[in-house]
Amino acid sequence: MRPKRVALPLFLIFLILQSCAHYPVNAPLQSYEPRGGYRFDNLTPGEGNTDAIMLCLAFSGGGTRAAAFAYGVLAELRDTLITAEGAPRRLLNEVDCISSVSGGSFTAAYFGLFRDRIFQDFETRFLRRNIQGELAGQVLSPANWFRLISPYFSRIDLAAELYDATVFEGRRYKDLAGGARPFIILNATNTALGSRFEFAQDQFDFLGSDLGEYPLARAAAASSAFPILLNPISLKNQPSPPGFSVPPAVQNALEDAGTNPRRYLWARNLVTYQDKANHPYLHLLDGGLADNIGLRAVADAYTRGFIRRRINDGAIKTFVAIVVNAKTDPPDSIDQHEAPPRIPAVIMKTMTVSMENYSFETVEFMRGLAGDRAQAQRDVAVCQRTLDARCPGGERLTAFPTELRLHVIELNFEQFSDPEERRFFLSLPTTFSLTGHQVDCLIAAGRRLLRTSQEYRDLLGELGGQLQPAAETATEFPSGGCKASN
Amino acid sequence: MEYLLVRFPRSRRVVIDGEFNGRTNELIELEAGTYTVSLGPPPNFTPESRRVVLRNTSALEPKEVTFDET
Repeated sequence: MRPKRVALPLFLIFLILQSCAHYPVNAPLQSYEPRGGYRFDNLTPGEGNTDAIMLCLAFSGGGTRAAAFAYGVLAELRDTLITAEGAPRRLLNEVDCISSVSGGSFTAAYFGLFRDRIFQDFETRFLRRNIQGELAGQVLSPANWFRLISPYFSRIDLAAELYDATVFEGRRYKDLAGGARPFIILNATNTALGSRFEFAQDQFDFLGSDLGEYPLARAAAASSAFPILLNPISLKNQPSPPGFSVPPAVQNALEDAGTNPRRYLWARNLVTYQDKANHPYLHLLDGGLADNIGLRAVADAYTRGFIRRRINDGAIKTFVAIVVNAKTDPPDSIDQHEAPPRIPAVIMKTMTVSMENYSFETVEFMRGLAGDRAQAQRDVAVCQRTLDARCPGGERLTAFPTELRLHVIELNFEQFSDPEERRFFLSLPTTFSLTGHQVDCLIAAGRRLLRTSQEYRDLLGELGGQLQPAAETATEFPSGGCKASN
Repeated sequence: MEYLLVRFPRSRRVVIDGEFNGRTNELIELEAGTYTVSLGPPPNFTPESRRVVLRNTSALEPKEVTFDET
């Protein structure tokens, strides 16, 4: 047979096989183990982490801008020493959880996997790469044309492959840094329910799926799948494993539609996944659609999850939430024209405005929760002092197990006092391709805004913290400065 | 947030919706809603569990639930 006659059929078979491409399906859960899998309670504190301090970070969306800003905050935490249990410790080691969306998810997942290695190679492996260009190259590559014909394989799957090969080294959830804290919560949005979807075994239990086998790259891809530009990441809603039952907290919350609609909705969204016949698949988009700063997962853990249980047990003395919000406010010309904006501009504006408004409300909600606790502690203390003064030796009021100190710290670009610096950062684009200078500015910005935050300094005062003078130079902006006028 | 006080003659871990969550005779802070409250081992208390709805409480006026030692 002539080579050409063999080559053509082989090539056609190759194309047919390519067009049958399918996204990797999430693995079924073989057995239900409520004490197993990727959950906060199954993680060890890790080296230099004390239970008395619960420190959670929330990394917002915003492409490379958000990833670099969050990376700068991690670097500053590394260079801050505190005194805990009589010994000096890096504040970075006290980080117990990181909740993130979109661009922030790359920094969160990379730190979760590789810890201090992030300071050696994350800049070259992610921040300073033209990820967007590489992704476009993948889409345009003839090798992928026929794969993209398949209805079960799309651009987001190519993106996940790229992240898997070049950023996350094929790692899965079971590889997350030896089972130690911080607990990494990557957030996406369920397109059907419009609800936040978190990559944690508590959520995957309802899908009958094993998160341990799931690639970090696909979770990061789901978290950053910006609508229209990218397709959703799909998951299969697997059959429930033997022994699975809806947890009592979820069952009780289903009765709270009138008492606590927020708790009721949380439960209702979870049990929706139990309706396997009507919801056999999930399609996940950018986590920013449900919560663009990643703080909701922390707020939920504080109100009803692993943080709440530890507070009530008296294990936590200090609770800290640091919100790293890379929100921008680019110049907008919509209101400069009499003609109404066109549909694409309206769609983009609708998505971003709702994301930003919700973000503001989430920070205020978290501050409200912290304020409620502080006020309740004051009420009990003041009443006790009054009782003691008027009825010495009288009744002892029931107290909290511990006097909890709470700090909610938000970092955002509006906090730059120099208007030109503020305008520079607020005008940065949302993209996975920034210049080296822009990345330098963002890393320094994360360090500087944290270091100069009064709330952060108050926290360090409580914890016997010290800012490392040698790290001061790292908060300086690169040559040329970071001003809009430059 | 809402406040729950579980009374019992001894200090004992409290079980809320199947999870350890606070101790007896101390304030327990929870979001508003419906809960099943019980105690940790040993099983020398009655009733076995109580169902409560937390709403309109304060730290000075928590919802009180009492278990007796047997």
